[in-house]
Amino acid sequence: MSEAVLRTEKLFRTYEMGKRKVPALNDLNLQVNRGEFVAIMGPSGSGKTTLLNVLGCLDKPTSGKVVLDDVDVANLPERELCKIRRDKIGFVFQTFNLLPYLNAAENVELPMENTKKTRSERRKKARELLRMVGLEGREEHRPQRLSAGEQQRVAIARSLANDPAIILADEPTGNLDTQNKYEIVRLLASLNIKQKTTIVMVTHDSHVASHTERMLFLKDGKIVNEKQGLHLTKKKLSCPHCGNKIQPNEEKCSICGKRLLNPKEVLI
Amino acid sequence: MGVLTRAVRNVSRRKMRALLVIIALGFSMAIMVSVPAGIVANQKAAQSMTANFNSTLTTMQEQINKTATLIECQTSRGMFSGGPPGFSPGGSEQQQTYVEESVANEIRSISGVKDVVEFLTVSSKETTSETINGPGGRTFTISRPVYTITGVTLISSFIDGYSILPTNITAGRNLRQGDSGVVLLNPNLTAYLGVGVGDKVEIYGESFLVVGVCDEAGQGRFEARSAYMNITDAQTAASLTGNLSRLDVYAENVSYVDSIAEVISLAYTSLQVTTYKDRLSQLDNTQTMYNETLASAQATVSQTETVATQEIMIAVVATSLIVLLFMLYTVRERTKEIGTLKAIGFSNWNVMSQFVFEGMLLSLVAGVVGIAIGTVGAPLLSGILLPQISPFGSRGNSQFQPGGANAGNFGNFGILGVSTVTVTPGLQTMLIAIGAAVLLGALGSLYPAWRAARTRPAEAMRYE
Repeated sequence: MSEAVLRTEKLFRTYEMGKRKVPALNDLNLQVNRGEFVAIMGPSGSGKTTLLNVLGCLDKPTSGKVVLDDVDVANLPERELCKIRRDKIGFVFQTFNLLPYLNAAENVELPMENTKKTRSERRKKARELLRMVGLEGREEHRPQRLSAGEQQRVAIARSLANDPAIILADEPTGNLDTQNKYEIVRLLASLNIKQKTTIVMVTHDSHVASHTERMLFLKDGKIVNEKQGLHLTKKKLSCPHCGNKIQPNEEKCSICGKRLLNPKEVLI
Repeated sequence: MGVLTRAVRNVSRRKMRALLVIIALGFSMAIMVSVPAGIVANQKAAQSMTANFNSTLTTMQEQINKTATLIECQTSRGMFSGGPPGFSPGGSEQQQTYVEESVANEIRSISGVKDVVEFLTVSSKETTSETINGPGGRTFTISRPVYTITGVTLISSFIDGYSILPTNITAGRNLRQGDSGVVLLNPNLTAYLGVGVGDKVEIYGESFLVVGVCDEAGQGRFEARSAYMNITDAQTAASLTGNLSRLDVYAENVSYVDSIAEVISLAYTSLQVTTYKDRLSQLDNTQTMYNETLASAQATVSQTETVATQEIMIAVVATSLIVLLFMLYTVRERTKEIGTLKAIGFSNWNVMSQFVFEGMLLSLVAGVVGIAIGTVGAPLLSGILLPQISPFGSRGNSQFQPGGANAGNFGNFGILGVSTVTVTPGLQTMLIAIGAAVLLGALGSLYPAWRAARTRPAEAMRYE
């Protein structure tokens, strides 16, 4: 098994608007290694969501390769793609996309429905995942009885149901207030550290993105820049803003005064 | 959390919408349930009618065979002329005529005559008017005498040998030789007078003792109110001493009947003479009338089947369309949910089965509701939706009353009888309707489900 869990080669995705062809992804090459936490950033229309859809087998590229766990998924038939989406990929959406007529546990169980797991195994796993994301005791609550942050936690638990190779998160903090935004980022970072889950997150929020390991900047369907992120647990404990050494429990940098993501808070 | 549970939750999620769809579907299903029941009812009515007609004709034939030597000689008005005896449609009054007793003696002297039985039938001058409801909402006003008395020659050999008195005695006893000052009443008259056996009644100002009540065959609610008595008593009461209204002449054997009838007809023009040949002719006429009625009934049954087929087809199309439109709307409304399901690994088949199950579930519930509506409203619905068999050729209500035979009276083969056929959906029809509902639900939701399954997840996720 190679180090790269996800790799694209010369990826093109062109939309046809009548006679006009609009390139959304343009010769895009990308590699995400196992256990990495990567943020994809870029302005509106840069191709972020298109890239995530193609990586998540929700959309097919016009040309190029998408290699997921050593399998080129770009040209697989729909029947194979749905299995890959079920077994290899976990999705987290900006609007949570929970089924309103199912409770939290049932929503988490849903991706396991077409697997070999028995009903009791599915139920047990759903409860474990909900406990892991901090929703113990809320299993029977329907989405409308949960806060936005809690709903996103359920969505994250659902994305982990089949132990996927990678989690693709499309603006997971886009619909959340500041408090919930940081809680969700901490949760994702924690999963990345504790479960070694590979996460690719699309966001336009640079502060959220800064807490990943690697930030990729997309423009006109191409990666135009790449920066190291501030995933503190994997970095030396230094302020990402001014380079000053910081202590594990500090919330703000004592030199520049900017807010820090505390690794101890990240770990649940 | 299986597909069925999700289907139940989805259908029950929007209760008012589901309820409206179920009611709409339910009415379609009710048509499917009640219309076949209406066909069955019409078929049964036609069968019942055929059976009754056959029975009537057989009885008539037997009666004709038994009375082959009887020559009926009747003065005017006593003879059947389109209505029941004593029945005076429209209130028009006919002049009753009589013959003298000497005529009976003269007839006895004709060669080949075995016996002559004398009768005097007189109706009271006073009448009652009543309104009755006929088929198709039509109403009739009938006027009939308060009572009709029949005086009979009470001789034992006549009573035993010929059918000169009613035989079905329900209370008391029949008349017998030597009776005087006593009467035998039919139920209509006992009901009208409010008397029973042992009571005294006053007829034509004379007092009579009621000795028995007879149940005349084919006696309907609007038939005559009859009293039977000794002929002498009748002549005295009606002030018609020495007069007769009818003579039953019995020949030695059938070979004399024609010659005797010819002599009587020539000698006594005031008498209307009927023999077994006339009765056979009447039987033929009756048979022709019955055949026409049955042909009309069969035509109605065929028409019913055609109309029913069309109505069921419309109901089937309506049901499928309702499910189709509802499910199309549901699929459109839940596009994002479909995208989510596909994103988390649901296959096209999983998504499709989800929507097909929902359509089937909706139709199943509608089927049960439809059966409930159909069972309760079957008579009304089939009455509105289907042509009904009617002996009068018009649309009747849902309960058809095929003909009842009046065996003892050739003049009154009433086709309004007593047996009824009620429109009730059978268990088999209900089970078929449930099956059809589920099948139509599946068919109606197939296309929307297929569309849902074909939805491209990336597009579905963008849908707002």
